[in-house]
Amino acid sequence: MTDQTMAAGRGPSADSGGVKRIDYAPTALNPKPSRRYYIWMMAPSIILLAGISIYPFIWLIYMSLHTVGEVNQPDVWNDFKNFTRFATDGKFHNGWLLLLQYSAMCMALEVGIGVLLAVILNRSKLEKVLVTLILMPMMMAPIITGLVWLFLYNGAFGWYHWLLQSIGILGPTSVLGDSDIAMFGIVAVDVWQWTPLITLITLAGLKRVPQDQLEANMVDGAGPFRNFVSIALPNIYPFLLIAVLLRFMDNFRFIDAILVLTGGGPADATNILPVYLFDVSFQYFKLGRGAAIALTLLLVTIVLGMVLVKLFEDPRRKIKHTGFD
Amino acid sequence: MASREIAQYPSSTRRVLSVATIIFIAFYLLWTLLPFLIMFLSSFKDLLDAFQLPAPGDWGGVSLLFTFEPTTKHFENLFVDLNFGTYLGNSLIASLGSAAVSVVLGSFAAYALSRFDFRGKNDLFFWIISTRMAPVVAVLVPLYAIFRSLDLIGTLPGLILAYTTFNLPFAIWILKGFFDNVPYAVEEAAMCDGATRLQALRMILPLVAPGIGAFLVLCVLFGWNDYLFASIIGSGGAKTLPPATIGLVQPQNIQWGSIMAAGVVTTVPMLFLGLLIRRYLVAGLTMGAVRE
Repeated sequence: MTDQTMAAGRGPSADSGGVKRIDYAPTALNPKPSRRYYIWMMAPSIILLAGISIYPFIWLIYMSLHTVGEVNQPDVWNDFKNFTRFATDGKFHNGWLLLLQYSAMCMALEVGIGVLLAVILNRSKLEKVLVTLILMPMMMAPIITGLVWLFLYNGAFGWYHWLLQSIGILGPTSVLGDSDIAMFGIVAVDVWQWTPLITLITLAGLKRVPQDQLEANMVDGAGPFRNFVSIALPNIYPFLLIAVLLRFMDNFRFIDAILVLTGGGPADATNILPVYLFDVSFQYFKLGRGAAIALTLLLVTIVLGMVLVKLFEDPRRKIKHTGFD
Repeated sequence: MASREIAQYPSSTRRVLSVATIIFIAFYLLWTLLPFLIMFLSSFKDLLDAFQLPAPGDWGGVSLLFTFEPTTKHFENLFVDLNFGTYLGNSLIASLGSAAVSVVLGSFAAYALSRFDFRGKNDLFFWIISTRMAPVVAVLVPLYAIFRSLDLIGTLPGLILAYTTFNLPFAIWILKGFFDNVPYAVEEAAMCDGATRLQALRMILPLVAPGIGAFLVLCVLFGWNDYLFASIIGSGGAKTLPPATIGLVQPQNIQWGSIMAAGVVTTVPMLFLGLLIRRYLVAGLTMGAVRE
């Protein structure tokens, strides 16, 4: 890429053979674009982003400190009541706990299956075809995914309901109707849709594992498993970490499928925090309380985001000198 | 890569292992594709056929999945009675529009961020990406209020702007990576030959064009698949496919046939787009942190 780039850049000057050669300081002849030039280029994006992020954020803080009135009713300052009531809000605690449980289960399964799959695919002759098939679920709109799985889980005519009953691990209640197993039901959907992402990322990492190290290790008598643990894993570890963090934050962001599948039920068994937040704001219209909950969620996201950005820097640098693509 | 081939000799454990991997792959493929298969088949089934299920434990009954009279009535229902043509158009305009706006504005910003060093640049950069990571549910209420005051609720421009909230930071973040990979020397050389700075920028555009194209497609995909914004900001005049599909779920009457058909209509174009930009998918979905 870099070579092409250089060639393309030199192209015009090489063609025009008659260009006058002068001794010049490039900066003097054609000054480096000024600050103002760059600032103008950034301005539209920055203004737009500020409008849709800083302004709502201030609004959010304002709402969280008030009891937001109904239409045409004034907002009332309520002495941090939206925050102090967290202490006694069982659903809020439950929501965080379930969010962590849900994420932990999704992560464990997705990383476990995803990495295993990547290791197998990496040595397969059919890698291209298989990867193309495997990544299909990621393209599906989460809301459609939710609806399709709702159909599959249905207690009267769902094929997965039938399958689970036939294997003998499910009673007459449907997966989503039983508060003990509904959580596994929504985890399965997330695993179905997002395991391929972990596989793709791991595959990209595996391609970067230095082959000479693998060979040296084998010469020293290591088997394939040992080889994976001591050479490949340390190499793909940063990639996996990024993948896990991204997925974790997506669990905060994407609740489309859960809204369709259970809406937080049965008996709050799947009422993870973002779903609870959605209910508070859009079912009960307690916008002040919703804003307070949203702020806690945002805070955690921002901390996670900072960690993520730190992680970004490392593999990026590595990629730079191996070239792009 | 020749050195990847390491001499391996057949042994019984290796054979067991290879059989195990084949079984694993087969199961995984089945698990991945079954929901698609059932969605496709159900969209062409009469509801009576779609609801046929064998008794638990009756494995031979799987054949019921494939015994049906194909019918296209659900698709006809969608497009003739339920106005899905309009929703499809809305989806298309909103996602394409937002992708175009994001990529154009994003390219300029990304180029400037890539070429211009200033104090606080990293903070600015973090802020840009954090606007993308924020949970949508958290900012939906204030955004709704802003959009209402601008009279943008239920309009396509409103929806385009809404999608831009998540596509623009994404575009800036990714495209900056592309511009970083083009050395400044290229523009410098062009400017030495008398090009103005805008002409110099135009000169390096072909070098980043494939990437920009791929991320345009990815932005389309994100917009197309969005539900929360579409249902809140687009409600009323700018219904897109996802909220329209949810509209088929009515408390007393879930129109499963039409839902599956709508699922096919929504999913198939994205499967093709995914295939088209396969090479950039990993970078796109990890915000450029991982590249193949």
